[in-house]
Amino acid sequence: MSSHREAPEISKDPVADNTDTYAFVSPDKPDTVTIITNYIPLENPAGGPNFFEFGDDVLYSIYIDNDGDARPNITYQFSFSTQLRNPNTFLYNTGQIGSLDDPNWNKRQFFDVTKTTTPGIRPFPTVIGSQLASPPCNIGPRSTPNYAALAQAAVHTLPSGETVFAGQRNDGFFVDLGAIFDLGDLRPFQNLHLIPSAAAASVDPLATLNVHTIAMQIPIKNLTQDGKAPTDATSSKSVLGIWGAASRQAVQIIDGFDDGRRGIGPWTQVSRLGNPLFNEVIVPLGKKDQWNATPPSSDSAFAQYVRQPELARLLPVLYPGVFPNLAKLTADRADLVAILLTGIPPGVVPGFQNFTGTTLADMLRLNVAIPPATKPSSLGLLGGDVAGFPNGRRVFDDVVTIELRAVAGATYPLVSPSYTADGAASVITEGLTPAAGRYQSTFPYLGLPHDGFSTPS
Amino acid sequence: MEPVDRRRFLKSAGVAAGAAAVVGAPGIARAATEGDAEVVDAPGALAKQPVVVYVRDAARGEVTVMHGEHATTYRDRGLVRRLLKAARVTESDARA
Repeated sequence: MSSHREAPEISKDPVADNTDTYAFVSPDKPDTVTIITNYIPLENPAGGPNFFEFGDDVLYSIYIDNDGDARPNITYQFSFSTQLRNPNTFLYNTGQIGSLDDPNWNKRQFFDVTKTTTPGIRPFPTVIGSQLASPPCNIGPRSTPNYAALAQAAVHTLPSGETVFAGQRNDGFFVDLGAIFDLGDLRPFQNLHLIPSAAAASVDPLATLNVHTIAMQIPIKNLTQDGKAPTDATSSKSVLGIWGAASRQAVQIIDGFDDGRRGIGPWTQVSRLGNPLFNEVIVPLGKKDQWNATPPSSDSAFAQYVRQPELARLLPVLYPGVFPNLAKLTADRADLVAILLTGIPPGVVPGFQNFTGTTLADMLRLNVAIPPATKPSSLGLLGGDVAGFPNGRRVFDDVVTIELRAVAGATYPLVSPSYTADGAASVITEGLTPAAGRYQSTFPYLGLPHDGFSTPS
Repeated sequence: MEPVDRRRFLKSAGVAAGAAAVVGAPGIARAATEGDAEVVDAPGALAKQPVVVYVRDAARGEVTVMHGEHATTYRDRGLVRRLLKAARVTESDARA
């Protein structure tokens, strides 16, 4: 979760595994949107001497659809190259790393950023950033004593107006991973489970793990179809569809004679992520790899799993007597289709819409005319905060609780007022509150990565 | 990307041997363009941009050629026969 190792094939390819995608109007720069895509799930901070890095053989993408057809109008792509200063040492660094060009840092990574805008007469990628430095991994107080300064030096402002960062951060996603995959256990309510045990405090195993983050902060007017920063939240032009993806070339040659590796052929998508947990929880095991390989514009093939989610059938079984109304709900889940596949149309939630049309597609949908909340709720729209998930997704949004409540029926009355949601649907919680330092108030908003020296594995 | 025209493709594929999926390098291709494929015991260095050819569907005579970031699928039953022979497999082994 939210898409960490969520499908059979991508679970074997962590550097290409898109674990989370976030998109929100930047709270400190509200004329911009911040988009974050994370990769490499469950990084143990002490994982040296070959510390984690992006794949030089992976093409990372951020897609923005601004006209509702679930096809990208703007694409940012990131390609990495690794430089080894001294091949005759086993060490990542041979002394303290004091700057991004410190000669003590042996294995550095750089990246190029391209932007493609469509439709166009002939849409070619334009290189908007070249040989940009990533920071090192956070190793420990001897190797990276002033990590915050190193990370800040790796925040690049591009001539085209975007701000970009690519490097290690702590994983902002929080979930009681061990419980949820133990037959849908929710520790605060596990006394009500089919196989009960005493209620207990939740555990967040991601709290001490890192990820690799690609973050961009982009002027809103650079993303909308008319080149303006909209102020009318009811306008369809105010809504952007956003998702991330990673691709590999179709063929890889591992040549035993030459000790060489070559990627050949078209870039082929192996991972993508729009809404959190879509592939993880909605798509069945036998279809997950296919989902990762297809674009959002093909998601009508997966709509049946949104209309009739497996988890909604499981909850009344796993928690006997707790969800009696959900147990009787057999109609298609138009509420979940709206939240995950079309956006919420006008008139459903007063003062809010993020509808992109009838094309069924898993994308984050962000209404950029809605300003950042002054008092945000981690429950987003369910908490009365229209600036939060499913209006895009902020780093601190409690998407697991929000989606569990929605699947449990809490949002079904929005489309069927005669339905009464079970009382439990509105009190389900994963029971976690991220610690201070998990996030920061400025770009790239995810907190500094945990260092390998002081973080227990 | 350098274009992969049919003539160059056939030259590359003509010497490629050993499997239904074949790696060819244009420079080597000029050494032998006719006759049976010969096994190479000590291959040269792997080209920076190898050409990859694979039999996609033997029954349909389809081969896909990859170079750089591009792929093109051709129908060339003669080439498919040669590749199958080099791979020592039958058409039924390489059906879709």
